[in-house]
Amino acid sequence: MKNRYRIFMHLGLLFIIFLSSGCAVNRATATIDPATNLDDIRYIHVSKLETDNRGVEVLIANKLKQSGYIVDLGDNIPPEADAVITYKDKWVWDITMYMLELTLTVRDPETSFPLASGNSYHTSLSRKDPEEMVDEVISNIFKQEKE
Amino acid sequence: MIEKRLLCVLCVVTLLSGCASPASKDGMVIDSIANVQQHNKTVLIKTQGGKETGAADTPNISNNSFSAAIEESVINSGIFTQVIHGDNSDYILNVAIINMSKPLFGASFTVSMEAAWSLSDSVTKKMHWRESITSSHTATMGDSMMGVKRLRLAVEGAARENIRLGLMAISKLDLNSE
Repeated sequence: MKNRYRIFMHLGLLFIIFLSSGCAVNRATATIDPATNLDDIRYIHVSKLETDNRGVEVLIANKLKQSGYIVDLGDNIPPEADAVITYKDKWVWDITMYMLELTLTVRDPETSFPLASGNSYHTSLSRKDPEEMVDEVISNIFKQEKE
Repeated sequence: MIEKRLLCVLCVVTLLSGCASPASKDGMVIDSIANVQQHNKTVLIKTQGGKETGAADTPNISNNSFSAAIEESVINSGIFTQVIHGDNSDYILNVAIINMSKPLFGASFTVSMEAAWSLSDSVTKKMHWRESITSSHTATMGDSMMGVKRLRLAVEGAARENIRLGLMAISKLDLNSE
């Protein structure tokens, strides 16, 4: 009985190795289109991710407002918008649910072309609050512009 | 006895699988593109948004390998006459990896990727073309039993498709009249 239990344990480990895609890491990066000047942006529309029911779009809007931008959160992009922000968040469970990854993209409101993008990826042991993830990504995007 | 054998298999598999390996240039290169329109111009390739792959990471695409894969694909397809590594090119091709969605667990891994492609005149800085290109690729258990390798193949496949679509779009541009 004990041997059977051990065999099942080992098979379980083998199963995880075959199906899992990697281990863990922490990272924060940002890129900006060389022809783009983010200093020209004053009015930003934050486009809510359809599958987001955690209010990440509100966190993004609040951070942008704190940074001095005029921010819009509606369904439609207003004609005066200088840029649209889209995002993708990935949440996983480890004792509690936490935000593993957040990618923000600053887009041209007319063409949706990505003008700048930032990404933060923090695994369980160094997990950050969603507010901190949003703060890190936005700071990295606009810091990149000033460098 | 069975338990010891199983343990041996487990050790070997664990050692062989390790963690992630980065996407390789060779896995992202396009061999050829059908019906390509060749431009009698030279190009400088710049990439952004790539990430190095840490020892305990999922497979990523580095800027160097992505740039090398685009360069080799440009040469293989003959879209431009030459890829320049200096200041004397006719055009600058900027490609930024914007987003890459990778699954963490599963039998089939589908990776989707968005990259921002732009082509500008290296002298006048005039923007000739820019487009957001999205692509995806699915790697199954048939491609590899090992999860980390299967994910790397999916990442490489998504990047390869992105390069193919990007070069096809450039092929359709009217550059030779300028």
